[in-house]
Amino acid sequence: MKDQYIKPIPVAQPWTEAFWKSSKNHSLMIQKCGGCGSLIFYPRKRCPECWSSELGWQKSSGRGAVYTFSIVRDMVEPKFVSDLPYVLAMVELEESIRMMTRIVECDPELVQIGMEVEVVFDDITDRHALPLFRPADESLRITATDGDQTGKASEPALFMSPDDYQTILYETGGTNGAVCRITLNRPEKRNSINRRMAMELRDAFGRVREDRAIGIVVLAGAGGSFCSGGDLDVFPSLAEHQTSLNWLAHEGLDVQKAITDCEKVVIAKIDGYCLAGGLELALCCDLLYAKESARMGFTEINMGILPGWGGTARIVRSMPVFRAREIIYSGRKDYTARELFEMGLLSRVFKDEEFEDQFEKAVALLASKKPIALRMGKEIMAKSADGGSIDTALAVERNGIQWLTYAPDIQAMMDQFRKSVKS
Amino acid sequence: MMSEGKGKIAIVGIGEVPTGIYPERSPWEILYEICTQAVQDSGLDKNDIEAVVTVAPQAQARLTAEISFGKIPEELGLKGCKDVCICNAGGASTSNCIRLAEQLITSGAARAVLIPHVTVHSCIPMDELINFFAQAGMDLQWEYPFGTTYNAIIGMLTRRYMHESGATPEDMASIVVSLRKWAALDPNSMFFNKKVPSVEEILSSPMVADPLHKRECNVLADGGAAMVVTSAELAPKVTQTPVYKLGEGAVFFTACPVLRENDMMTRGFRESAARALCEAGLKKEDIDIWNIYLAYPVGHPIMMESLGLCEPGRGCQAFMDGITWPGGKMPWSTIGDAVGRGHTGSGVSTATYVETARQLMGKAGERQVEGAKFVFQNTSGGSGMNNIATVWGKELI
Repeated sequence: MKDQYIKPIPVAQPWTEAFWKSSKNHSLMIQKCGGCGSLIFYPRKRCPECWSSELGWQKSSGRGAVYTFSIVRDMVEPKFVSDLPYVLAMVELEESIRMMTRIVECDPELVQIGMEVEVVFDDITDRHALPLFRPADESLRITATDGDQTGKASEPALFMSPDDYQTILYETGGTNGAVCRITLNRPEKRNSINRRMAMELRDAFGRVREDRAIGIVVLAGAGGSFCSGGDLDVFPSLAEHQTSLNWLAHEGLDVQKAITDCEKVVIAKIDGYCLAGGLELALCCDLLYAKESARMGFTEINMGILPGWGGTARIVRSMPVFRAREIIYSGRKDYTARELFEMGLLSRVFKDEEFEDQFEKAVALLASKKPIALRMGKEIMAKSADGGSIDTALAVERNGIQWLTYAPDIQAMMDQFRKSVKS
Repeated sequence: MMSEGKGKIAIVGIGEVPTGIYPERSPWEILYEICTQAVQDSGLDKNDIEAVVTVAPQAQARLTAEISFGKIPEELGLKGCKDVCICNAGGASTSNCIRLAEQLITSGAARAVLIPHVTVHSCIPMDELINFFAQAGMDLQWEYPFGTTYNAIIGMLTRRYMHESGATPEDMASIVVSLRKWAALDPNSMFFNKKVPSVEEILSSPMVADPLHKRECNVLADGGAAMVVTSAELAPKVTQTPVYKLGEGAVFFTACPVLRENDMMTRGFRESAARALCEAGLKKEDIDIWNIYLAYPVGHPIMMESLGLCEPGRGCQAFMDGITWPGGKMPWSTIGDAVGRGHTGSGVSTATYVETARQLMGKAGERQVEGAKFVFQNTSGGSGMNNIATVWGKELI
């Protein structure tokens, strides 16, 4: 079950509730008139043919064919954006009923008018399931992981729990309950980012927002490297203009936003390689703690392109601009963390042998602060750094602090603080 | 023999502001302008207006309430006004306003009726606007939860039409070319004097709801138009150029597009047009202009085929060959429909009636179809819930 379903839920009427109840039990029902025998879709209070109120139900075979469809690619409400592209379709059931639905588990480009389909149910909430359709022909079906490197987005996987993640680890409830650890976990590929990882990161950062107890997220890489950038296996698919644009605008921007909009303090734990797209991920974080020997840089220009996941935009906002330009233009991948710290980029670098200890100490210090104060601080500083007038920034600050002052249990904490100062 | 609805009323005055995006203009400023223009054009005095029937502006609850509760005759000082109301059937609203005017006039309740419409989309907050158009015309139980949008519904209709007729993407894009050619000549269009995109340019615009490209969709815009309607007897006494309503036929399909049976639209288009032409006592050969309002490209070939103006399945050919273009043998949607005009909510239907009148008044400038005597016009509401066909002429026959 998804934590929070933000898309519209069917607004049922008393006489259609049986339909949705059956859907929840993964059974598709068609209303049938006891008066004239008509099959009715959608369910009514009276038969639209004979006006009889004696209405019952018949179980549908759940099989049918695509009458028409559209691959929706743009211009939808924000709540549907994460579904793009999706196949909206009218399906004609064997019982001659036509209904609006989506075609899932299929490459959108392979959907055709007349294609035979069968019903599947998407459990959107505890009480609702939407009847969707997938190809009847099993060879046309893809699971969420298939479309991975093809450049054709598959139906976004509906992660049931972090256990379903394949490319990242998601850990909470360790020795410090206020810390969540999200670890890029493709060590054989130096944690390079593929579509699946982008999708899972989005989901993970969305998930951690909802956990009130957590104040700090540590973003790290498994196997001794933070992240070496975009997976080169994705690149062939980017030859197509639109696919490439989507990789930047959908996967890319969504991941950046998932991190920057996550209301927790996100700490990048940088070791090994932190290159290209990996450095861009790091730049989305709030604090950058690095191992002295870590190798960092933007290598995109060596391929004749530039960073496209926010790298160019963020680095000039993160350090002195004359130094930032060198990093973008030189394409060097051998900047050490120490070097970049001295150039003004990182929060802190630790000696290799002390790295783990020092890093954990820094995390523990921040994790001892109130999550809502951290959250408010992140928001105020983000708004302030975004530009705008000083008066606006000061107003955001004042209001944030005023809000905090009256937040539950903060008064008690302030009392305690005052007492300890006096004594 | 004159049939029931024939020749009872006439449009005697029109007013319009160019469609565009001008958030700085208030709806009331536009209402002043179009109403003043229409009344002055009619040759009547403001106090001759005895009723105001307004086309409901969509997505603007506050403005709708103000107009519903009589603000227009009060603002404009229409001292002779006896009645006021607002009318909403989506894009078919204007047809219903005209019918209501007809009843007021034939029953003797009013001698002259003002029918205005204004929409200022650009002053509605973007999220409200997206939300409104995402939900309007969609069933909250059977459609909306799946992620339907107007564009997607039209994308589905377009795919089905292409499947059945064999029409190609180039065929579909040629409809936009034709509509934009008219728009480029229309000082009231937001595309006035703008370069008409080629078929290739349309097809290289991003896909929005495959097979529908961005340039096959509508641009939301602001605009307003108004007309003054009187009885057919009074009309020639106040103006040199009365435009008579000669016939009408209406058909309702369904609210939900998914419930529209396969030939429902073609049959409905055909039957409503036949009724309107029969009432007018005209044949389709008598029609000089086909002023078709369907808001997206795909309806146009379906309409042309349904009306028997081309071979079945060949509706796009006339758009490709230039027959529907300015100067062509079959002038078609001479304001370029919503695609060419910019989408002003239900206002495109008002603008289409105003254009019908303008052509028959001989005031259409570069778009003027020489010698136009009879115009066929339709309107349609919601996601294509109905079709109202009308026939208009510069003389009673």
